[in-house]
Amino acid sequence: MKLSPRFTTLAALLIASFGASAAPADSQQQPRAAGIETYGYTWNSPDQDMNRALAHRADPGKGEAAYKVCKGCHKADGAGLADAEYPQLAGQHANVIIKQMMDIRAGRRDNPRMYPFAGEWIVSAEEIADIAVYLQKLPIPAGNGKGNGYHLSRGKALYDKDCASCHGNAGEGDAANFYPMVAGQHFSYLKRETRESRDHGRRNASPEMVKVLKGYSDADVDAVSDYMSRLKAGR
Amino acid sequence: MTAFSPKITAVAIGLIGGFWLAGVALASDTAATKLAHDVCAGCHGVDGNSVVPNFPKLAGQQKVYLLRELKDYRSGKRVSDIMAPFVAGLGDDDLEQLAAYYAKQTPAPGVVNNPGLLAVGKSLYLNGNSANDVPSCESCHETDGSGSGKFPRVAGQHSEYALDQFRLYATGKRTNGARVMKAVAERMTEAETRAVAEYMASMP
Repeated sequence: MKLSPRFTTLAALLIASFGASAAPADSQQQPRAAGIETYGYTWNSPDQDMNRALAHRADPGKGEAAYKVCKGCHKADGAGLADAEYPQLAGQHANVIIKQMMDIRAGRRDNPRMYPFAGEWIVSAEEIADIAVYLQKLPIPAGNGKGNGYHLSRGKALYDKDCASCHGNAGEGDAANFYPMVAGQHFSYLKRETRESRDHGRRNASPEMVKVLKGYSDADVDAVSDYMSRLKAGR
Repeated sequence: MTAFSPKITAVAIGLIGGFWLAGVALASDTAATKLAHDVCAGCHGVDGNSVVPNFPKLAGQQKVYLLRELKDYRSGKRVSDIMAPFVAGLGDDDLEQLAAYYAKQTPAPGVVNNPGLLAVGKSLYLNGNSANDVPSCESCHETDGSGSGKFPRVAGQHSEYALDQFRLYATGKRTNGARVMKAVAERMTEAETRAVAEYMASMP
C-alpha cells in the first residue's frame, strides 16, 4: 500500500503530539546550594544571577508588570500577610530583595513554598531588579502585624545592643550592605526568620548575626521582633 | 442510528479539517473569519461562545493568549488530538488573524451549575488560601476575570473546561502555560478547584 504524502505528514504529526505528551513536566523543585552549614561559607558572595540583576538599569514600570505573579501572595500594595508569614515588601531596599530572591533561586535560602514562583521560568534576573526597584518605591503600608507588646523595653534593649549597628536605630537597614529594613515588618515573619537564623535553618544568614543570636532565648527573639515590627523608619 | 459523543464528533471534524487545511493557506482577515465560521464554529460557536462545556469559550479571550495557544497546539507543546490537525497547516499570519477574530467577539454570560460554591470560589479567587499557599487568581487574571496578555480571560468560561485544565496542570499533562499554574493547581484541593471554576463561570 502506498500512502499519500499528506497522510504521512498527518500521521507523523499525530505521533509527534503523542510523543510530546510523554515528556516530563518541568521540575519546580528547589535546588540546594551550600549555605551557612558549610565550612568556608562566605555571606553574600558574588553570584552571576545576582550580578546581572545588580548591573541592570532597573525600570519600576516594568517591575510593576512583572510583580503581577508575586502579588497573588504579597498583595498589590506589597503588604504581604501577617498570618501567613508572607513578608511585607513595600519600601524594602532593592538590593535586599535582589539578594534574597537570588538566594532562593540558587537554593541558599530554603523556601519551597515560594520557589515555584521565583524561578527563571517566571522572572529573569533583570525583571527581579525591576520588581525590586518598584517595591522599594512603594509607600510602606500601615497596619503590619505586631507582637503582644508586653516586652518592648526588653526588645529595645536587645535591639540597641545587638541589632542597631547594622539594621539602623530606626530599623532602616543599609542598602549598600544588603542589610534589610526591619521596621514595619510583620512580627510573625521577623520572629520566624530570626529563630531560623539562630538555629541555622536560614542558611543564607550572616554568620555575624548568627553569632549575636546564639544566646537568645525564644522569649528574647519574640521581644526584639515585636520591637522591630513597631519601628517607623521609612514612614 | 448510533449517537456520537461530542468528543468523537470533534475528533472526526478535526481529522477531516486537518486534511482539508493541509493544502489551504489563509491570506486575509476574511479568510480567517471564514475558517472560524466554517470549521472552528463546529466546536467553539460562530462567535466563539461555545455551548459545549468541554470546549472552551474563545469570545473576548486575550489575543496574546490565544495566539500562544494556537502556536503551542501546532508545535505540540500543548497536546490535543482534537486541535492539532486543525492548526497543522496554518501559518503564523493565519493564527494571528484567528486570535484577533476571537479576541474581538463579545463573550456571552457563563453557566453556573452550583451556586452554593460561589461564595467560597469568590474568596479564593480574590484572596487565595494562605493555609496551602495558593495565591489569589485575580493578581494575574484580573479582578473581573478579563485576563491580561498571556494571562487568559477566565470570566464566563465553562466550569467543566476550567476543571479539566486544573487537573491537567496538577498532573503535569498540560505543560504549556504551566509555569505558574502547575504550582497553583497542585496546591489546590479538588473542592477548591470546583469552587473557583464555578465563580469564574459566574463572572460576567
